[in-house]
Amino acid sequence: MSKNIRSLAMAFLGIAFLVMAPVVRAETVQPDDLVRRLASEVTNAVRSDPELQNPNSPKIADIVGRLIVPRFDFLRITQFAMGRNWAKATPQEQKEVVKQFSRLLTRTYSNAIASLKELDIEVKGTKANSNANDVTVKTQMIGRPQPVAIDYSLINSAGGWKVYDVTVEGISLIAAYRDEFGSLVSSSGVSGLIDVLKKKNGE
Amino acid sequence: MNTFIRQVVLGLTLGLSLAVSARADDTMPAPYDPLESVNRATFGLNDVIDTVIINPLVSVWNGILPQPVRQGVSNVFDNLDDVYAGLNHALQGRGSQAGTDFGRVIVNTTVGIGGIFDVGTKIGLKKSYGDFGQTLGVWGFSTGPYVVLPLLGPSTLRETAGRGARIVTDARNLLPANTYYALTGTEYLATRADAKANEGLIAASSLDRYVFVRNLYWQRRFNLVQEGRSAKAGSSQP
Repeated sequence: MSKNIRSLAMAFLGIAFLVMAPVVRAETVQPDDLVRRLASEVTNAVRSDPELQNPNSPKIADIVGRLIVPRFDFLRITQFAMGRNWAKATPQEQKEVVKQFSRLLTRTYSNAIASLKELDIEVKGTKANSNANDVTVKTQMIGRPQPVAIDYSLINSAGGWKVYDVTVEGISLIAAYRDEFGSLVSSSGVSGLIDVLKKKNGE
Repeated sequence: MNTFIRQVVLGLTLGLSLAVSARADDTMPAPYDPLESVNRATFGLNDVIDTVIINPLVSVWNGILPQPVRQGVSNVFDNLDDVYAGLNHALQGRGSQAGTDFGRVIVNTTVGIGGIFDVGTKIGLKKSYGDFGQTLGVWGFSTGPYVVLPLLGPSTLRETAGRGARIVTDARNLLPANTYYALTGTEYLATRADAKANEGLIAASSLDRYVFVRNLYWQRRFNLVQEGRSAKAGSSQP
């Protein structure tokens, strides 16, 4: 009898573990593993599918949307690019800037996916930023005559680790947008910025 | 012509010495651009020159020469740059980096047949960038205002002085004038052809290209000087 209860309890425990397992695994994925996996998934996909090697292929948007976009924190990216002006925007404007800016980033940098055919990304190490949930994963892109240093800044939040800045040879992409956003907002306001973003996205 | 450049460099250096900043700041100051309206005009002019002259030339260049040849040409000029990187790293007090740079020059000039092949990178001698503008920054000179130069693009007062120093000390000055201009023209074209891919990406992704390019340039120069300063601090400590 007690033996039955124990095996029943064990069975429940087993089920609980099975249910829990994916959750636990998602939490323990280290940021460097995430970058490594993301890089290999994307490069493998491009290498195995000739269609993805054509920069104009509609399939690129699909792979970017499936593999890359979920790993980027576009809200944080936009907040960082907006700087002080974020607080000046209405909630509606904030939503629109995030939407248009993520569209711009996704669209323009998707074109670079095709060139990953002959490139590899090697993870070189991780550096903690302000705390353990904010790190920079240092990588090197190899396959060009000279290796290119690309650093990914990631933050750990409810949705797991997500990228909030990309630095190429020490140059922060989002910091460059910050200057642009600042100059546009000071000349024509947040609505002016949204107009320029929309126009750039062909809306 | 060289006397003129020398005078300009001397003038700039004297002017800059008044602008020496004593403090080394870790956070990047915002781009200092008091000449923005003039710079924007030059930026626009450069776009016109690019469209009318440079882009067609780059297309011809890319069309005539296969990629390995273009790479070889770039490597030859990179090899020359390594001499200056070594010289500047030495001036910045970065002895071991200078050693690597000169090691690259020796290996690439001999085994790499006059610099056509970058053998240095393959045997672990990593290429490192260095120039006179960076050296002035490591020595404590501030950038001065941002300037856009005709044909050459983004610069600062300090970097322009550095560029002048490079021109004056260039070994190519010993060559006959025709050869000098042919080499310099080829170098310019090779550099621009290399940069074209990135220029397309910048045009596609930026909202105000002038501001975007200015920021990228400003970050790059700041990083180079920070790198020089920290490497120097690191090598003087036991």
